[in-house]
Formats: sequence, structure tokens, C-alpha cells
Amino acid sequence: MTYSIIARCPKTGRLGIGTTTFSIACGRRNESVRPTVGVSKSQAMYIRAHDPRALNLLEQGFLPKHVMDVQAANDADWDYRQTGIVDREGNAVAHTGAKVGKYCGHKVGPYYAAFGNGLAGPQVVEGIVSGFLSEPDAPFEYRLLMGVEGGQKAGGQATAGRYRPSRSAWLRVVNHLTFPEVDLRVDLHADPVGELRRLLDEFVRYRAYYEQQRLDPASAPAEEDFVAAL
Amino acid sequence: MTYSLLVRCPNSGRFGIAMASYSIAIGRLTDGIRANVGVSVSQGFPNPANNPLAMNLLAAGFTAAHTLNDLIVNDPRSDWRQVVVVDRTGAVAVKDGGKLRPWSGHMTGEAAVAAGDMLSGPAVLTAMLQAYASQPAAVLEDRLLLALEAGRDAGGEKGKTGPLRERSAAVVVCANDDYTEWDLRVDQHDGAIAELRRVHAEYQPHAAYYIERARNPHKAVPAMEFADTLKASRA
Repeated sequence: MTYSIIARCPKTGRLGIGTTTFSIACGRRNESVRPTVGVSKSQAMYIRAHDPRALNLLEQGFLPKHVMDVQAANDADWDYRQTGIVDREGNAVAHTGAKVGKYCGHKVGPYYAAFGNGLAGPQVVEGIVSGFLSEPDAPFEYRLLMGVEGGQKAGGQATAGRYRPSRSAWLRVVNHLTFPEVDLRVDLHADPVGELRRLLDEFVRYRAYYEQQRLDPASAPAEEDFVAAL
Repeated sequence: MTYSLLVRCPNSGRFGIAMASYSIAIGRLTDGIRANVGVSVSQGFPNPANNPLAMNLLAAGFTAAHTLNDLIVNDPRSDWRQVVVVDRTGAVAVKDGGKLRPWSGHMTGEAAVAAGDMLSGPAVLTAMLQAYASQPAAVLEDRLLLALEAGRDAGGEKGKTGPLRERSAAVVVCANDDYTEWDLRVDQHDGAIAELRRVHAEYQPHAAYYIERARNPHKAVPAMEFADTLKASRA
């Protein structure tokens, strides 16, 4: 019971993930995104070691299709896993095992993959994609968020017809640098997707200031003064 | 404007980092942690690029002291940083940049460093180390959270016009895997450490479940069913 959008921004080359789930602290899966390499996100009855291995293979230069084949061959319980992989060129693949919780499914586009399980129906995957594609000129981090929001608006997660609200959400975008450009988490919240949007709007106001702390601390104002001026 | 505790657990060899800050989403700086390698952070006016670099240097076999020196030499603005490095032997190295805002400093314990800037005073760090040492038999994530709470209760952060309440917090632990074992964050909240305690308590009964269902998916109880059972057992 998770749905995700992973993508490479066709304009900036940045890589990112937006995800939400019933499980607590989905953003602890920070091994799933590697700058200038790609994104591999396994979910459903996932094994955490899958994502670092996939990224190690991508880093060697293998294509996502090959990486996915290797993962399948290395896992006796592959039918229980759902995985999406996007590489630094935007090549995308996804796998939804036959034993993953219903409804489950994925949709792969030219530079993205949307996938989920424990969903209200196929309209949720469609909702992720249409949300992600709805404003192609928006900043990449907002496009990813709109993908997650689109999935939620389309019905989100449900078991046996009963709606199951998410409890955690995560947004990470990496650029050419070695550390994330955007990395925001809601670990346990009654409305994690709404809270994630609030956090992103808030973080965007701070982003240039935090870059100033890194690159030009001598001229950076005290943070309490910066906050007071907001 | 951050206080942190970085440790290598002498019992298990695990690494841990706990951070709290008036800055938002401070947990984005907790990526300098790697199993069997070490843990490091650059705070004050942070340079997040230092954290992955520190991991690469420690993984190459350099000591904490050598790694710290390389980070300082490499960063033209190192005077504004507070850099902490703990290596796989438990050796620690710390530099408090000369331009950090007061009160700033660090204290060391056994394979442990408490460090911070814009604090109400050194009592914050003393309290953190004491709380960390007070329950040597507890699991590392619990000890780290206790330390954050103690730092807050000893006065926490202070700005120009008085106390600054922490708005974000994180506790991260790495064991043997190439991913973190315990990794919880609060990115913006009026009582970030109290909120982290709430998330921590809620996550705790799920931790083993998340591992077991991956190993044994054929026997796994669905997550929602598990949550329902948990809820019923508490009622």
C-alpha cells in the first residue's frame, strides 16, 4: 500500500521521487536515490537491499531493463515486489509482481514511472501520471508532488473497498551535487500529502538562504532575522 | 543553530546521529553515516557537501583526524562550520569554526561527540552526553533520543533575542547494511523533539514487522491488518 512517482526532469536532468504510504516514515528509504546515477524504488513486500544494488548496477553503466532482469533473477520472492527504476538518461522500467496486493499496477513513460499497490483502482496510477504531467513547466519538485497529489485525488489507497489514508510521505530531488537539493519528509501525520505541500512551500522560501549559508556564510543574516523578515 | 550527538556504539559498532535545530528539515544533513565506515556532520553554517565527502574519506581508510583536516583544507569557508567526524575505531575529531555564533562548542564522551552552536550554554552538551551515558544497555536509537530531550531541557538553542525553539529533529542509526536501520525525522514542528518522540514510539512496534515481511512475504500480514491488530491490542 504505497504509490510513487520516480522521474528524471527532462529540462534540468535532475532525478527525484515522490511517494506516500500507509507505513510510517517512508522517507527513511533514502538509499533509493543516488545523484547522477538514478532512482530505484522497491515497494510492496520490499527488500531494502534491492535499491542500493540496483543503483550500484546503474552506476556501472547498465541500463534499467538489464538491472531489473538481474534483480528478478536474484530474488526467489520477486512476485511479491513492486519496483520502478529510472536512470540518469531518463530510461524507465517498472515491475509489479503477480502476488503484490491489489489493486496494483504501474505506468511507464519516456522519463518517469508511476506505480502503486493496495490502491483503490487503476485510476490511481492514472491520477499520478496526469498529476505529474499536468504542469510540464512547473519546477520538477512540484511536478513530483502533483503526481502524488494526483494519486490521492484519484482515490489513493484502499483495502476491500475501505479507504486507507496515508500516514507518511516523502519528496527528494537530487541534482549534479553529492547531496540532495530537496529532501522533505513527513513521517507520521493525518494528512501527510497536504503536510508535504506545506513543507515544500516553506522550504522553497528557505532554499536560497540555506545555499547562502553554504556558499557565502560571511554575508548570511542570522537565521532568526531571516525568519522574522519572511 | 543546531545541537547534535554523533556516536559509535561501543557494544554493537553501530553508528548514530541525533540532531535538533531551529532550522527546518535538519534531517537532510544526516546523510553522513555509513555502516562500518563512520558518521560525520558539518553544521553551524552547514556545508552539506562535507558529509558525503567525509564518508568517502573514511571509507578509503583515513582516520577521523585526517578526514577532518581534509574537510577543513578543502572548504574555503570552514571558519563558519562546525565539523564532527567519528571513525570506525570510535576515534573522534572536531573543529569549531571561529565564526560560529555563540555559545558554540563541543564535548566528547566515549566514542561520542556532542556539538552545537547558538546554544544557551555548555550545559546543553553536558546534559546530552550524560543522558546518552545514563542507559548503556538501551538500544542506540533510544539513547540518542534521550540525549536530544536532555539537550532541549537543559536550555537548547538561543538567538539574539532569547531562546529559539527547535523546529526540526532527526535520529538516524546505521548497523551493517548499506541503508540506515533507524531513520526518523520531523522537518518542521513547534515542538520537534516531542513530535519525534511520538513518531519514535509509534514506529517502534513496526520496525521488526517491516523487516520480517520482506524476508517472508508469503506469511506476511498486510500492513493495515498489522496496524489494526496493534490498535486493538492497545484498546
